[in-house]
Amino acid sequence: MPHPHPSHTHPHHADHEHGKPLIRFDHASFRYPHGPALEDITLEIADGEFVGVIGPNGSGKTTMLRAILGLMPPATGSLQIFDCACQNLRCHHRARIGYLPQKRAVDPNFPITVREAVLMGRAGAIGLWKRPGKADLAIVRHALEDVGMEDYEDHPLGALSGGQQQRVFIARALAQHPQILLLDEPTTGIDTTTQHNVLDLIQRLHEELHLTIVLVSHDINLIAPLAERLALLKTRLYALGPAKQVLTKEILAQVYGPQILTTDTGHVIVADHHHN
Amino acid sequence: MVDFLTLGFFQRSLMAAALTGGVCAVIGVFVVLRGLAFIGAGIAHAAFAGVALAYLVGGPPMPFAIAFGLGTAWITGLLEEQGRMKLDVSIGIFYTATMALAILFIGLMKTYNAEVYGYLFGSILSVTADELKLTAGLATVVVGLLALFAKEFFFLAFDQEMAEASGVPARRFFFLLLTLVALTIVVSLKTVGAILVFALLLIPAATAYQLTSSLRRMMAYSVAIGVLVSVAGVLLSFQFDLPAGPAIVLLATGVFFLAVAFSPKRAPKPALS
Repeated sequence: MPHPHPSHTHPHHADHEHGKPLIRFDHASFRYPHGPALEDITLEIADGEFVGVIGPNGSGKTTMLRAILGLMPPATGSLQIFDCACQNLRCHHRARIGYLPQKRAVDPNFPITVREAVLMGRAGAIGLWKRPGKADLAIVRHALEDVGMEDYEDHPLGALSGGQQQRVFIARALAQHPQILLLDEPTTGIDTTTQHNVLDLIQRLHEELHLTIVLVSHDINLIAPLAERLALLKTRLYALGPAKQVLTKEILAQVYGPQILTTDTGHVIVADHHHN
Repeated sequence: MVDFLTLGFFQRSLMAAALTGGVCAVIGVFVVLRGLAFIGAGIAHAAFAGVALAYLVGGPPMPFAIAFGLGTAWITGLLEEQGRMKLDVSIGIFYTATMALAILFIGLMKTYNAEVYGYLFGSILSVTADELKLTAGLATVVVGLLALFAKEFFFLAFDQEMAEASGVPARRFFFLLLTLVALTIVVSLKTVGAILVFALLLIPAATAYQLTSSLRRMMAYSVAIGVLVSVAGVLLSFQFDLPAGPAIVLLATGVFFLAVAFSPKRAPKPALS
């Protein structure tokens, strides 16, 4: 794989021909034991679309991804994934959704090689009673090539840098041969250069593999140039549309409060500093 | 096929040691990686309480031990899932409560029963042919299931939520794993005892963990270490007339510290492919 370009400016999106909706929230609400997580969400995401989900901490961004994975049934309303109510999502459906969870510290001593970690992505697709075969190892190699990590197959995962581990986990999601890719804060905890590399990679996967992408980030400026539509969340869906429509001072102030600033270049400055 | 009945007590002890050490080392890999070590200790003590109750009421020890062991395994598993309480706290309570029950049951017995203590400290040198058969049968079941679902169990150990999200019925496998841990512990009670079985679950896997960065190799090393220290421990105990359980555990501990001292993970090599 040619290494991604030094910057990630992709101002022009090829106008993808989007297919039928793959994900359909219809007045869906999701609750945790201690209170509501998402209220009355109505949102359709089409096959091949790239949606960025933004919002402050605790606004339900991760919950939205967990719901799409079928890990949280709606309390009211409905959520359809692949024409299937999310609470009935079977394992073979889940295997078609690649998921990059929020970066957690990988125990640097956990004995697992890059190959073994990516091969885990095949588990759902292979099925219960079978063992991974040559075809699966070829898929693993291909997924590692897609993220530019093919030279690290035999390396211990814990010995890699944060950005390299993130690439390996993206490869694990790709090894599922997913139709939908869910990414939760893919650039958190890695340095700026690597952030741009990872985002370039995601953009390329979207364009070349026509993956439907739902990317969650608290960093509005980082994903605004990439996503075709932004969904602004704070328990409710406050706005949905292209970045230009969503990132206005009036709309953002409803969610982030009056301290929000927008610059002439379209950058958004939020007083809500947090680090996970 | 080995005919267990024709074996002398010495061969039986060696066979029991190899089987127990091996099966504990296999499942121990998942116990160590999934962070279930403390649950293992809780299960061992609960199973011992079951044995004590069996002797008190005149019932068969194994079914009582299995009921107590499985009960504890499943309840602590549910508690971990719900996450309402820190797991070490809930298991700590279970651990001491079941030990208190065991002491209570023993106290209620009218006569001193030395056999009960055999389950606490183990009596590998007096393993009967039937007990050996039971151990061999269990080892086959546990190792067979773990081998059949190796990719699922490894995924579970690495990241359970991710496994669930990728289409592996991770929750069911988690409870299957707890069940296998409980069965392994119960069957090892007679050979190494409730206190020391924990060491056989932990030490070979923890030692292997120090030595490699690959899941498959960790499994292979763990089994080799588990079988070797168990057999060597029995041989030492014969040679020097020592109790077998402590000989095995102390030998394993020694190997563990050697592995820590010489672990390649302490001095990472430059990564080249």
